[in-house]
Formats: sequence, C-alpha cells, structure tokens
Amino acid sequence: MIDATALPRLLHGPSGRPLTLEQHEALFVSQTPAQSIAAELQASGLTGRGGAAFPTWRKAEFIAGQRGHNKFMVVNAMEGEPGSHKDRTLLSANPHLVLDGAEILASLIGAKHIAICVARDNPTVVNHLKRAVHERERRSLRGPKLELHTPPWRYVAGEESALVHWLDDNESLPQYRAHRPHVLRISHNPAMVDNTETCANVGLIARFGADWFRKLGTAESPGTALVSLTGAVANQAVVEVPLGTPISTILARANADPRPQALLLGGYGGSWISGQHVDTPYANEFLRPLGATVGAGIMVVLPRSACGLVETQRIVQWMANESARQCGPCAFGLPSLAEDLTHLVRTTRDAEAVLRRLHERCGLIEGRGACHHPDGVVQLVRSALKVFADDLRQHMSGAPCAPSRSNQHVVKVPTLEHEEEQMWE
Amino acid sequence: MLAITTPYLWYTSRATGMVAMILFTLVVTLGTFVANRIGGTIVGRFEINELHRSLSIVAIVFLGLHILTTVVDSYVSTGLISAFIPMTSSYKRVPVALGAVAFDLILAVWVSSLLKLRIKNQTWRFIHWFSWLGVTTSLVHGFLTGSDARHGFGLILVGLCTLAVVSAALWRFLGRPARAAGRTALSPLAAAPAPRLNPKLTPSGPRRPGVPTSSGPFPRNPRPPQSKARR
Amino acid sequence: MGVRRKSGGFVLKVNPILCDGYGHCAELAPDLVRTDEWGYPIVVAVPVPLSNLGALASARYAVRGCPRKAMHIERVADES
Repeated sequence: MIDATALPRLLHGPSGRPLTLEQHEALFVSQTPAQSIAAELQASGLTGRGGAAFPTWRKAEFIAGQRGHNKFMVVNAMEGEPGSHKDRTLLSANPHLVLDGAEILASLIGAKHIAICVARDNPTVVNHLKRAVHERERRSLRGPKLELHTPPWRYVAGEESALVHWLDDNESLPQYRAHRPHVLRISHNPAMVDNTETCANVGLIARFGADWFRKLGTAESPGTALVSLTGAVANQAVVEVPLGTPISTILARANADPRPQALLLGGYGGSWISGQHVDTPYANEFLRPLGATVGAGIMVVLPRSACGLVETQRIVQWMANESARQCGPCAFGLPSLAEDLTHLVRTTRDAEAVLRRLHERCGLIEGRGACHHPDGVVQLVRSALKVFADDLRQHMSGAPCAPSRSNQHVVKVPTLEHEEEQMWE
Repeated sequence: MLAITTPYLWYTSRATGMVAMILFTLVVTLGTFVANRIGGTIVGRFEINELHRSLSIVAIVFLGLHILTTVVDSYVSTGLISAFIPMTSSYKRVPVALGAVAFDLILAVWVSSLLKLRIKNQTWRFIHWFSWLGVTTSLVHGFLTGSDARHGFGLILVGLCTLAVVSAALWRFLGRPARAAGRTALSPLAAAPAPRLNPKLTPSGPRRPGVPTSSGPFPRNPRPPQSKARR
Repeated sequence: MGVRRKSGGFVLKVNPILCDGYGHCAELAPDLVRTDEWGYPIVVAVPVPLSNLGALASARYAVRGCPRKAMHIERVADES
C-alpha cells in the first residue's frame, strides 16, 4: 500500500519504462475496500479531470441506469489541448492503473467494451498501450473487451461527443445534444467517456478506498491533480500536486518563473488570471471567484517579458482554425474574434469601435455552438481583456509593449501547416 | 387496365405534359433562389420556399395527369410499367424511357422530401441533387416525344425552359453562398493513415513529477490533411 | 367558451450543426428569432408561456419552414 499522504500517487513507481502488469500489481497491492466500489467512489467525491469537473460517481450512476446490452466505456486520452501532456505522461508511467480504473468503471456501468482512445500522432503512447493491453489479454479472457483506438489528432476530436462520433461513425465531429444530461451512444449503446486521469484515480480509489483518497486535497476537491506546465518553465513538466496546493508551490516544483505576469488555467479555452493571484490554492472552489477553473490541468506561465494580448491573439487564431466548422456562430464567429484581436494588437485605428464590437461578438457567440469550443474561446478573450486591461490601453493608444513587436512567443501553438487553413489572413 | 382511345386523352396528355414542364422549371428555379438565399426585402425568403414547396405539389399533380392520360390512351401502347421502368415501351422507346427516368428521379426527390424529418439531412440533400438530373431528362423527353415541341410555340417554350434550367444550374453551382469552408470532417478517407508503430521505440517523456521532460510539451502533432469535401 | 389556459412554457431550439443560416426562421418568428451578422439565428432563450398562442404559432411556422429542419420546440414545465 502506498502511503496516503505520499506523493506521487498517480505517477508512483520507478522512472524509466512504463510499469509492466507484474510490476504494477506488486507496487499497488490490492486491498479490499470497506464498502462496495460504487459507494467508495461516491464517498471519494472524485470529479472528472477532463475539464468539466463533473462528479464521476454521478455520471457512472446515470449511465448504469440506462438500458443497453453492449455499453461502452471510453477512456479519453486524446489530449487535444496543445498545452497538455499529462495523459501521455500518465500512460507512459503506468498504463495499467488507467486500465484498472477503466475496468472498474466498465463493471459499474455494465459495459462490455472498453475503448481507449489515443491520438495516432503519438506512437510512443500508442505502443505503451498496445503492450499493456496485450499483457492483460494474456492474463485473462474474462471481463470487458479492451480495444485501442487511434483517431487523428485535432483540438475538437478530444471533445467527448466528437470522440464517440468517431467510434460510432469515424467522424471526429462534435454532436448536437438537445437535452442535458445527454447519453452519447455508439451504435445505439450508451457510452461513458472519462479522462485518463479520472480513470487512474478510480483505479486508486478501488484499491485503497475513499478515506485514503481524501487524505490529500481539499474537502470539495479531493485527491491529487496532474498539472501540465508550459510557457516560462525551465523544462516543460507534469507535476502531481494535491488539489488546494498554492499555485506558487506548483510553480516552484516545476522550476517555473516564480513571479509570472499571468497564468492561463484550464486550457486554451480557459481563463487568464493575473500573476498577483499566485498564492491562490489550486482548486476549483478558490479559482472560480477569479473566473478560472482547474479544467484539464493546464497551466501556461506567462513571463513579464511577454505580451498577453499577442499570445491570446495567437491562441484565438489557432482555435478559430481548429473549429470543426459545423456551427455558423463558431465557424464565422471565432475568425472574426481573431480578426478583432489582431486589429487591437496591431493598429490603433478605430480601436474603441473594434473593442466594442469584440465585446458584442463575444456575447453573440457564447452558448451557440453544439459543443463548448466557441464558449471556451469567448472565455479566453474575456479574461484576456480583463487581465491585460493595462496592456490593452497601451496598445490602443498607439504605444504597444516591446514584446509584442518581437517574434518571440511563449505560448505553444501548433503551426498551421497547410496553406488553405490560413483562410482568414 | 383501362384502355380508351379518344383524341381528348391525347390532347390532355400533351397539355399537362407542357404545363408540368413549365412548373418543374419554375420549381427548380425557385429552389435555386432558396439555396442561394434570395429574398428578404420585397419577398420573404420563406415565401419563396413555400412557393417552391407548393408549386412542386402542383407540378406533381400535373405530371400524374400527364402519365395517367398517356397510359390510359390505348392509341399508343404505353403501359403503366413503361412509366416507371425505362425501355419497356414499344412506342418511341428511347424518348419514353427518358420520361420514365425523369419520373423516377422526381419521385425519389418527392418521397425523400416527404420523409425529410425521418431521414438524415445529408441523405435528403444528396437525393435533392437528383432534381437537376430529373428536370434535364424531362426536358429532353419533352423535346423528343412532344408532338408540339418541334416547331412554333412549343419549341419556344422548351427553349425558354431549357434556358431557365441551365442558367439556374450555373447560378447554383457557381454562385453558391459562402459557407465557412465546408465542414472539416475527419472521415476515414480524409484522415492520414495511421503511423506504422515501431515496437522498439524507447519510451520518453517525464515519469515523475518535477522531473523535467526530455521532450517538449507536444512532441509531434502532425495534422491530418483536411477534408476539402463540401457536404 | 373560454380558452383553456395551458401551464408551462416552450423554448424554440436550434440545432446549430444542421443550421445553415437560411434565415427563414427570423422571417417567420420575428418575435422569437433574430439573426446575427453572419445570418445565423439567435433564439430567445427564456421560456415563452404556452398561453402566448401567437408566439407558439409563429414558432411552429419557424419549425415547419426551416429548410434544414434544424429547429424544434421544447416544452418547459412551469417552475411555480
């Protein structure tokens, strides 16, 4: 048994190659929990780590109550966020913990299939998973069938309805959900989608129980979280911290800039928070007043030498291009947001009018897509306009900050490789 | 099968055929108006759409009359089967066959529109493209079969209808409204082939918290080629 | 003859994936739908009481008139 207060939990184990099934079982010795696993899961208060922070037990209970003989348990390891690398880290450290959790969730909802989805652009992780699945298949023939799926990588391809759409119909496009909660279906069978990290946590809870799990973290957000740090970090890293750890501690553990200008939390559809909030505990209940969430565990550290507006503009431009172009407000709205931001950053002509239009357009776009892709971008733009208000005023008065004129950028944005994708230039 | 022979049946057949031709030309043109987002100021867009829908019903009634009178008229031996299956008529085999093809296509478009709420939107759209084929075949059928289409007023009418359909088609295909860029579907055809996996690849990336990674935040993310197919 | 008072309300909903911005709904139900600068509908999000028969009728016209069949009416139960 691993000590309840010891870190790391999820990434426990010797570094090097991913743990084999024998190593994994030797390290994480199973204990019989006091209650049933469903009760333990409910008592643990685990919330989804993919971004929405929905209580996992409630989702499992909901899907378990649905009819269907061939339910699917889908492990989402797509990592659509360019700033995230926690899923590949976790799967490269201990894939069996994730598969454990997936099997437990599958048994809770009565699923016959487990679909593990990794972007095909990640051959290393795909290989680790292949090996892990193979090891398990040799061990037993009982239990749900493990399937490895490798959809192509795209930002929206990791959205749960797009992922289920891929599994159902080989199209990575988000689906419209008229009612919520909505049951996603793969050939008419209910499917439950959970993030890699959520599954790994379920694996831990099933072994050691809810009390053990709650030893770390806050009462509202128990457990640990994997944080992917990028930006002004000495080396890009994933750190595992108990939820509720002050952000400054996380920065220190990753050798990041201790006094950043701002932090982007949650993901590219997340929120900027000012660098002065660096002592805020890293948990949703403390971040919400600042308009941010833990989201998918992404933290982009913006140094004082960078221009937040320029970085935001680059992200929005990229996000606009990543739209699946299914919904008009997203397909047309996001490029126009990017255009407005570019205008604000580069020129002063009609700056006031453009700013007003930008605010208006944010209000127009919000909540009108089939998925939350446009909402995320709107949130990002709004938080940037708030956090970088001083910079914005400077830009609008014709004195843009020095870093905005250089070509050195902090936030990683995958390059637009194809000419035809830059259609809004 | 009822078989009467009277010149009035023949007259009705000719007249209803002609009216059906004009009506279908109008329906297709109005459909192009709807698709190209015409209207909104003097006439509402929805009104054009309503006209498109109602006229299509009227056109189908005339088409039905046209077929019925032809079938019933025993002067030329065109059975009911010939109305549906091409090349079964002994009278003017090829021209009547074209009419049968046009009727089948129009029938498909009509039935798919009746079932619009039940079928997938893409299916409906796909079937709706058949209306161009249907109206073209019917014009050719009218020109080849029609007793009035070779000279005078009838010829002018066929010419005008052809002109209208051709210009509507050109307008539809060349001047279609800007949709963002089509949908970037990641269909299996559009997606890049899965990379061949090398089992000897050594694992990389961070194992432990705090330990810096050897690779960057996203080692490799080559993007799949985008589907350019408009759907 | 009194009109039977119906309780509850309705919301006109758009499936944004199906919607291609034809703009017919904004013409058919101007009190419920307006269009944004790209021609896509913005629908009133607050439930309209079912007793508002005019609005209900125009919503039904909008649903029927949509060339993409992208709209539907959703009933909402009264909260009070």
